[in-house]
Amino acid sequence: MSITWNDSVPIYRQLRERVVAMILDGALNEGDPLPSVRQVAADFQINPLTVSKAYQELVDDQLVEKRRGLGMFVTDGAREALLKSERERFLREEWPALYARLQRLGLDLKTLMHEASQDSENQS
Amino acid sequence: MNAVITANGLSKRYKNAVALDNVNFEIQPGRIVGLIGPNGAGKTTALKAILGLTDFQGRLDVLGMDPRSQRDKLMEQVCFIADVAVLPRWIRVREAIDFVANIHPRFNRAKCEAFLARTKLTAHQRVREMSKGMIVQLHLALVMAIDAKLLVLDEPTLGLDILYRRQFYQSLLEEYFDDNKTIIVTTHQVEEIEHILTDLMFIQDGKIVLNTDMEAMGDRFAEVMVNADKAPVARQLNPLDERQVFGKSIFLFDGVDQHRLAELGEVRRPSVSDLFVATMKGTYA
Repeated sequence: MSITWNDSVPIYRQLRERVVAMILDGALNEGDPLPSVRQVAADFQINPLTVSKAYQELVDDQLVEKRRGLGMFVTDGAREALLKSERERFLREEWPALYARLQRLGLDLKTLMHEASQDSENQS
Repeated sequence: MNAVITANGLSKRYKNAVALDNVNFEIQPGRIVGLIGPNGAGKTTALKAILGLTDFQGRLDVLGMDPRSQRDKLMEQVCFIADVAVLPRWIRVREAIDFVANIHPRFNRAKCEAFLARTKLTAHQRVREMSKGMIVQLHLALVMAIDAKLLVLDEPTLGLDILYRRQFYQSLLEEYFDDNKTIIVTTHQVEEIEHILTDLMFIQDGKIVLNTDMEAMGDRFAEVMVNADKAPVARQLNPLDERQVFGKSIFLFDGVDQHRLAELGEVRRPSVSDLFVATMKGTYA
């Protein structure tokens, strides 16, 4: 597998973000095992220490737990905890700017919701 | 933990040239060290000294042994793949396995055969019937099946296509490397191994000009893309290197506070190749 890394963020952080995204998307469910450090290192051609560091951060954030001799697993409640922190982050960091932009464009809630329901109809 | 390799005042002089000039370094276990340098910088001489293939001045300790006087014992713990290390052209895959199994006490035949089973190589095939990539596969299968503490790779993927190159490092990471093993690798294809390395050593004119672990490298060196109006300010901070791209200047700094640099433009971690080019400037001039 080939992947391009962003030079302005350390790789272990980018790896951590990928795992977080996989948990949020449901690609990794609670109780699912994470691929082994060795496997990830080989697949992405990165140093095992980099992978360990990313996993350790996930352990520190209690999103992942180490089971002795078995490897790393997504903890119960990881998705909920992530959703909570992601929602908070969205409201704190993204929503003010987005709200300001909606105001500038004069888009109201009714128009936006109408647009959204049409989109989901087109998709189904 | 004890260092795998310790060099103190390591020097090697040929008749008209100095290949290694009073070199000092230490390599810890569980590391993957890239020894990077231009042609003729002393890389291969350093590796030869470590492998006990050449005499030298100064002190060199490899796994607690002197490679000059304890080479036989040392070779039980050290493996080596080089672009120039050739397998005899007449030998068949099975004969090569038999040979290593007979001479090497730490060779695991089953492991070697399991690895080869995943390649297109067959037991009867002779080396002369193989492509360059296949020969390296055989070499790697033989070496990875040896439970050695130190693996030395001298341009292991030279002349291989991209598929074989990628597979080479993938196999090493997946099936060979662990905390108790140490790998030293030299290559000119720095981009390929940059993220695999834990440590980086630049060698130039027989001297180690940079020796850093990869994490410290990211803290120490920074690349900043600066608009023309701020370029004079950036120049005052003594950049290692400056180059122009799309009307902007890209500066490379060593040890300048990254918050200070962020005021000048977008800060990035330099690639090993950019760092290499900046460090080696003037080498062939």
